[in-house]
Amino acid sequence: MKDKLKATIALLKAKGVEYADCRFVRREVEHIQVTNGTVDMLSRDLNVGVGIRVLVNGAWGFASTSAVSDADLKKTANKALQIAKASAITLRHKVVLADQEAFVDHYTTPCAIDPFLVGTDDKINLLVSLTDALTKEKKIQRAESNMGFFKTNKLFVSTEGAEIEQDIIESGGGYYVIAVGGKEVHKRSYPNSFGGDFMTRGYEFIQEMNLPAHTDQTIDEALQLLKAKPCPDTVSDIIICGSQMALQVHESCGHPTELDRVLGTEISLAGGSFMQPELLNKLQYGSKIVNINADATIEGGLGSFGYDDEGVKAQRTPIIENGMFVGYLTSRETAPVIKKRSNGTMRADGWNRIPLIRMTNHNLEPGEWELDDLIKDTKKGIFMGTNKSWSIDDKRLNFQFGGECAWEIKDGKLGQMYKNPVYTGITPEFWNSCDAICNKNHWHVWGVPNCGKGEPMQTAHVAHGTAPTRFRNVKVGVSK
Amino acid sequence: MIGEKKLFDILTKVLSHSKADETEIVFSGTESGLTRYANSQIHQNVHENNCKILFKSVIGKKIGVASTNSLVKTDLLKTLNNSFEIASTQPENPNYPGLAGKAKYKTIKTFDEKTAKFTPNDRAKVVKKIIAISDKKGFDLAGAFSTSSGEIAVVNSKGVRAYQPFTSATINMIAMSGTSSGYAAGTSRNVNDIDYAKLAQRAVEKCEVSQNPVSIEPGTYEVILEPEALASLLEWMNYIGFGSKAFEQKTSFLAGKVGKKITSDQITIVDDALDTSSIAFPFDFEGVPKKKVPIIQKGVAKGVVYDRMSAKKAKKKSTGHGLTPEESSEGAIPLNLVISGGTAKRDKMIEKVKKGILVTRFHYINGFIDTPNAVLTGMTRDGTFLIENGKIVGGIKNLRFTDRMLDAFKTTVAVSKERDLVASWWSAVGCIKAPTIHLKKFKFTGKTEF
Repeated sequence: MKDKLKATIALLKAKGVEYADCRFVRREVEHIQVTNGTVDMLSRDLNVGVGIRVLVNGAWGFASTSAVSDADLKKTANKALQIAKASAITLRHKVVLADQEAFVDHYTTPCAIDPFLVGTDDKINLLVSLTDALTKEKKIQRAESNMGFFKTNKLFVSTEGAEIEQDIIESGGGYYVIAVGGKEVHKRSYPNSFGGDFMTRGYEFIQEMNLPAHTDQTIDEALQLLKAKPCPDTVSDIIICGSQMALQVHESCGHPTELDRVLGTEISLAGGSFMQPELLNKLQYGSKIVNINADATIEGGLGSFGYDDEGVKAQRTPIIENGMFVGYLTSRETAPVIKKRSNGTMRADGWNRIPLIRMTNHNLEPGEWELDDLIKDTKKGIFMGTNKSWSIDDKRLNFQFGGECAWEIKDGKLGQMYKNPVYTGITPEFWNSCDAICNKNHWHVWGVPNCGKGEPMQTAHVAHGTAPTRFRNVKVGVSK
Repeated sequence: MIGEKKLFDILTKVLSHSKADETEIVFSGTESGLTRYANSQIHQNVHENNCKILFKSVIGKKIGVASTNSLVKTDLLKTLNNSFEIASTQPENPNYPGLAGKAKYKTIKTFDEKTAKFTPNDRAKVVKKIIAISDKKGFDLAGAFSTSSGEIAVVNSKGVRAYQPFTSATINMIAMSGTSSGYAAGTSRNVNDIDYAKLAQRAVEKCEVSQNPVSIEPGTYEVILEPEALASLLEWMNYIGFGSKAFEQKTSFLAGKVGKKITSDQITIVDDALDTSSIAFPFDFEGVPKKKVPIIQKGVAKGVVYDRMSAKKAKKKSTGHGLTPEESSEGAIPLNLVISGGTAKRDKMIEKVKKGILVTRFHYINGFIDTPNAVLTGMTRDGTFLIENGKIVGGIKNLRFTDRMLDAFKTTVAVSKERDLVASWWSAVGCIKAPTIHLKKFKFTGKTEF
């Protein structure tokens, strides 16, 4: 395949393009879902194709094909050229790419047990045993467990001489229950909602999650929700659990620091960002203890890789330092706007999509608190549980996030459970109210396999290293 | 495009190699182009030629699903065999209802030759034209314009032979000044049926009128929700409430309420894939003919839609709402919602509002807060206006709503006669047909800075 891509690049060079790259992607996906002991779904997908991106007279063209013969690739290359010429009809500002070293390399994610070689029986048996254990209480009317595995082989070749191959394996899973009692219906998930937790690792990650050990707690909390009071409408100090903090970082810091979005290129779908370039190194985004970085090099992080889909090496970039807004996620096209080189965050959801700036592992660095001490230090407050709902305005300022459950904090102790908790705020005001972050003992890199962006829609696999974190005087409970 | 005869030939030949008791093949192929523009120039311009072939093999009641995007014969046979092997490793699914049998489908025209042949250059010319309209006011324009053609086929070992070619054209645009923005959008099977200049004019006018917006306090307001705003609420209500899985697991706000009055009697919602004035489609991904299904009729909850598996569990018949084999664990879901029009004239509805808010569209709605009570939250976006004494007096800064939708729809004052087609992510096989609606009470719970 590499020879075919190189031949296509040679063809495009001969046609006089300023720049071109070809990406071959072969992706295998396995998904297993079990509901109440029955296998609802066991599917395997194999998806193969090539995407060709060209820059002609400062305008982009992209074409892709699932047919990968020499003739198909030639036809697709010509289509990309035709599209670039069409783009130029409205051109006002030519695309200028930041300089980039052309790497020749092969990257592989760590993987002790290839999930595609693990017996289907073993996977099904685990998932069925989970839903069997989860449905032992009568009021648990539904239990669903799932696993997902991805094996991706990517080849990237460019007119600048880059030749990069990457083999990436991702694994993950989780479960949830639905408890029904009278008019009450509540969901409780483990280890996280919306599919569980994922990493760029093999089946060993499934084993290490020790999913069977947490079924009793999940049942217990679901049953408690049936009797729980609604979360009060109040202004309160809140401690947000690690997985909900992942969502908080994702929506209020990850997306607004994508420089393509900042420059307006996502307006037609998800909007822009309040974090404009004139605020760089001037906006006190959060309190002095808030440090956030984008780090694509964390071993096992779902947002980890060797090179992005422009051939830029994975790296760690400070985004917020001591509360100050200091950096963006960038691409070769956008980095020159802030007089930098790309920090390697361009990724495409397969061969048939163009790369966009995507979060990698966007992490809130751990603080110094033990969780028990932080709760003891909170006289009156609310502890927010696993994410259930999320909404934020189109400049990423006003947000409202909800949890599956919450707990009252009274005199430094966790008290009664609340149902349907919601909290809301304005991003910089909220982050400036952050006064405590738990330490590395409570810090975990949560995999998020469903980050949407772009048109046609692209789903990226990203992650967030977070720990339970406290915020002061937050508006809680607006759902009534 | 492969074409009906050739495609059936390829698929039935593969089908004949199956060792399973029952076998189903779903083919979906598209050739699509999408032109995105921002800062009044095209910045992303893409083309895709792709297909997906899904195989479902059934041994007794053991089901296996495998898929590929390769039409090479050896790959097809390998994937068919994969689905058989997956099925053989599974326990039986007691709810398996068997594959659909042979059926007749309504003849619907869903393919337009001109749309299929629309080129990147043609799209660029349209974009240039609408940017020129925005330029006249000094506004920036952003948006996306897609055209696509494709074909869907379902064949199975019980004789189903369903085939439908389709085209689709969808555009959205946002005109932006330094302090405001205005939105307009259109969708059709036929690219030449969309009045691009008229849409651009609407986006520009909304942007112009909403300049220098004022901030108002959150609270309960009378609202006029334009079709895009209403459709986005319904899209979420559909997701959390109108499908078989949500209904079965009792997280749907319709669970336990069928036959009961849940909204104003001015609200009627059906799923009708056979409505040829919308984005129609004759069959589902199990090869079952589409049926018109009432969801809410004159305010009374009527029920949800079903595929074959969920229908068996609920002791109902499939309504023709099966998803593809790899999505089927999500149950059935409506893809062609039609909200009945009322008697009000759209341009007269504002006159009835003493003090209220006109919403062009919502942004980032989420409906997971409390699904049994249909609580939704979201932000207004791209054209939010204050109405006083029957007239729009100017733009307002965007607001967050959080409300129980059934309560809000109980306060319906009027529904417009005119309706728009609002595109969804499943635009190849459906969309939402929505009117403008006037609600007496709609709860805004927060505000933002622009």
